[in-house]
Amino acid sequence: MLLQAEDVGMYFGGFRAVDGASLTIEQGEIIGLIGPNGAGKSTFFNCLVGDLKPSKGRVMFDGHDVTNASPEEHAKLGIGRTFQLPATFEELTILENVMVGAFLRHPRVKDARENAQRVLDLTGLTALADQKAKSLGTPGRKRLEIARVLATEPKLMLLDEALAGLTPSEVQLAIDLVRQIHQSGITLVIVEHIMEVILSLTDRVLVFNQGKVIASGAPADVVNDPAVIEAYLGRSQNKKREQNK
Amino acid sequence: MMMRRSGWIALALVLILFPLSFDNPYYEQLGSLVLLAAISASAWNLIGGYAGQVSVGNAVFFGAGAYMPLLFYKLWEVSPLYGFPAGIAVSVVIAVVIGIPTFRLSGHYFSMATIAVAELIRIVVSNWDFVGASIGLTGPAVARDWSDLVFRSSIPYYYMFLAVLTILLVMTYCIERSRFGYYLRALRSGERAARSLGVPVSRCKLYIFILSAIFTSLAGSLYAIKFGFADPASGFGILVSVNMVIVAALGGAGRLLGPLLGAVILIPLQSETNTLFGGGGTGFTYILYGGIIMLIARFEPGGLLELWERIRDRRASRRAVALKAALAEPSSQSQLGR
Repeated sequence: MLLQAEDVGMYFGGFRAVDGASLTIEQGEIIGLIGPNGAGKSTFFNCLVGDLKPSKGRVMFDGHDVTNASPEEHAKLGIGRTFQLPATFEELTILENVMVGAFLRHPRVKDARENAQRVLDLTGLTALADQKAKSLGTPGRKRLEIARVLATEPKLMLLDEALAGLTPSEVQLAIDLVRQIHQSGITLVIVEHIMEVILSLTDRVLVFNQGKVIASGAPADVVNDPAVIEAYLGRSQNKKREQNK
Repeated sequence: MMMRRSGWIALALVLILFPLSFDNPYYEQLGSLVLLAAISASAWNLIGGYAGQVSVGNAVFFGAGAYMPLLFYKLWEVSPLYGFPAGIAVSVVIAVVIGIPTFRLSGHYFSMATIAVAELIRIVVSNWDFVGASIGLTGPAVARDWSDLVFRSSIPYYYMFLAVLTILLVMTYCIERSRFGYYLRALRSGERAARSLGVPVSRCKLYIFILSAIFTSLAGSLYAIKFGFADPASGFGILVSVNMVIVAALGGAGRLLGPLLGAVILIPLQSETNTLFGGGGTGFTYILYGGIIMLIARFEPGGLLELWERIRDRRASRRAVALKAALAEPSSQSQLGR
């Protein structure tokens, strides 16, 4: 077991953004986290990576209790994450952006640069290495974020809508990249809106609604689960759908 | 900023030969003042430029550095040199006290805390008889031996300042190229993202703030031995802090030679306006600063070095496309108007 979240809750005043969510991830899995807007996916995600300290529950990673650990400690232990809105270092070049990640395991500048270059090759960014990050468009930024996290050599990578805002052909390229990352032995958690991505990539999905996990299982089963359809489309839509069958 | 070796040698030669090329005390004095401003602005540049944490209270360190040598002289009549490490020690303690609580927060808390602490300490010092209250402290008027560092000419001070500035800039250059330097630029760009990649953000900010405090304090001590005098306004005044910010920002904050360039432009300008307007011209300094802040913030947040780099890059790329077009390019006016 690589990551285990037990009964995690995150309350903002009286509002329970996440209300008792649990999740176990085995080494080598790809897990999808889906749910309608405002369901608590991102809050749960931020509890897992240390950006938020959960109000209740416990998160264990690789034998360490990381419930109250800082984002830096998460990175050090091998949990990497991307941001929903790309947070690339705009004034740094693409190579330098990736080097900041590589420094975590390679304190010497020369080693960090070599490792960063290797990651750039892997992610297809080598040609742009010396450009400033601000010169990139959305697909480039998302790719750079992934590259930067890869450079920290994580065991577990959490992607927060890493593919949102891409054109269909760009999505396909990104899916190939995610597959490649998975094949290199990194366990993945993907928060995503695009069903195509979830269906084609993940082994198992968790569906969030109103702060709770309402369903989990193989993607194909989950999308036919009445509770899931209701969460996304509402009850009347679900009835219509039943009638049409 | 990338510069060819010939550029560095030329710069070094100009700085070394400057006071020898005039037999005029006015220029020698002016040169030493430029270097002193460059030291304190370069020290500010570490925290305010490279780490992007705008301190508006670095006068605290400058004041501590200026007061300690004079206080040591007043109390025990020892060489002001003994006060240098004491000033640094006090500055480090203040930096830690400000830094630890505020660096855990992001945004403007740090800037506000630095202003508050600086003003608080200025008021305390102004009312504390032990350190001369509002009158301030004076150093030895006549040298008892060399270690009093009292010279009639500005030239010895000039070279002392040049040595300290060189040490500071070499250190800055090394930091720029180290992991620490990359981390600083990353956290300036985005703290949350930097944290997620394992950058110990609060610790990096604290370390660079301490370094900044050390060299600002040193600048204060150098000021004190040069003028043999410090009072609350010249040591701890808000204008002292603002001066560092403006000098660095005008040349280019977060760039190695930005503060030096800013000092070379601004200090002679100040000196000229002071002679032009005499005692009534002190208010003019504030007007000048206000104007410069507005111009930098509106047109060129990266400072003059960035402006120059952009012009150079554009010229180079145009030249690559068509030589004729590059030759016809009106250079600086069109850039400023944008």
